[in-house]
Amino acid sequence: MLTAAEWGIVALSLKVGGVAMAAVLPIAFALAWVLARVRFPGKLLLDAVVHLPLVVPPVVTGWVLLLAFAPAGPLGGWLERWFGVSVLFRWTGAAIAAGIMALPLMVRAMRLSIEAVDRRLESAARTLGAGPTRVFWTLTLPLSLPGVLAGAVLGFARSIGEFGATITFVSNVPGETQTLPLAIYSALQQPGAEATVWRLSAMSVGLSLIALLVSELLTRRVRRGLHVL
Amino acid sequence: MIRSLLMFLTLLAAAPALAQGKPPLVLAAASLQESMNAAADAWATAGHPRPVISFAASSALARQVEAGGDADLFVSADQEWMDALAAKRLIVPASRVTFLGNRLVVVAAKGNPVRIPVRPAAALAKVLAAGPLAMADAPVPAGKYGEAALRSLGVWATVAPKVVRGDSVRAALTLVERGAAPLGIVYATDAKASRAVRIAGVFPAGSHPPITYPVARLARSTNPEGEAFRRFLVSRAGKAVFVRYGFIAR
Repeated sequence: MLTAAEWGIVALSLKVGGVAMAAVLPIAFALAWVLARVRFPGKLLLDAVVHLPLVVPPVVTGWVLLLAFAPAGPLGGWLERWFGVSVLFRWTGAAIAAGIMALPLMVRAMRLSIEAVDRRLESAARTLGAGPTRVFWTLTLPLSLPGVLAGAVLGFARSIGEFGATITFVSNVPGETQTLPLAIYSALQQPGAEATVWRLSAMSVGLSLIALLVSELLTRRVRRGLHVL
Repeated sequence: MIRSLLMFLTLLAAAPALAQGKPPLVLAAASLQESMNAAADAWATAGHPRPVISFAASSALARQVEAGGDADLFVSADQEWMDALAAKRLIVPASRVTFLGNRLVVVAAKGNPVRIPVRPAAALAKVLAAGPLAMADAPVPAGKYGEAALRSLGVWATVAPKVVRGDSVRAALTLVERGAAPLGIVYATDAKASRAVRIAGVFPAGSHPPITYPVARLARSTNPEGEAFRRFLVSRAGKAVFVRYGFIAR
């Protein structure tokens, strides 16, 4: 089984992935809703920008994040002035990297499920006197919920696998930013550490598999049109 | 009775805080992984807080310091990145010490009895060009040193087409360990770390630029434990830890 230090790495990965998922969830949902429902000039561009982290080399994403969150950078300076915190070398920075990398996957899954909601139901609700807010909370959100959760879980799976952006942005600090992929990378640099590599890789594959299965089961609900959870 | 118990509890709570400060954050080149961890363990055994060490490529670490990351020490695998930080006044100049050196060697799989003749050039070229020769990628220090050595020995033109590159010196080592290449150019410390390879030849020290490792305290470091650990690293006892892993004390 895993050593105490290895369990620590797994726990840190779950924390980073979980916080990344929770923080990005509302942003991803808002973006998905806008992309699914609103028509506006520049929509294609927004769509492309949201998808950038999926296709840009992760090392570029990490480098851009490093510049942005540096104390002299635009976001880092703001965090330092208002909250007196820095995310460099911190697990919060790892969560930011993981969240950015997970965003496109989450938006894609959520957008599909929002688009799958039958708009005639919404029109019917409106004719029966429900306001737009009530329609959203009692119809659109519940109906798209399985897809939203599927997207969130998929984003979580992507988060705990994040490597390139993380090591470039917040380094490889044990207990702070050394998540499973970074620990595996470190162990691979060490001749004779194959047993560690195997154990951590097995954990990584296991966690990803569970997340993907959960995500897939939720997606099936969307496809079957089973509109109740 | 209750009073002494309370006193004991107070002492218990205060003891770790008294004995140990906040652990310093050390940024160290990936090739120092085993040796630097051993040094940190030795330091912790002596009653100090064990430093937290981030191992990555010297280049990535230097860029994180440039961006404004708060760490205490930087240990680089070459002088170039330390110079880059020095130029931007991000290190304390007086704290910079080149404390370790390394050798460049040719490794072969354990069962392979090959010996590498350094001279004449024709004999060296013949042995090295016999099969794929594993080396670190060209921009990685180990790759640069290896190429410089082969050039100065006059065999680069013959050997170059046979070179296979790993993204790090440890990746080059793995190619030899796994039998993907019969020979590889790595550091003496890498050869020592692996049980699957043996040193088949050592490059003459003059055939490539000196391989040296500087340490320095970062200008923004405020943790006295960082400076204390730096002093340990450059001390005789500190260097002795690294010598066990094949480094040369400087």
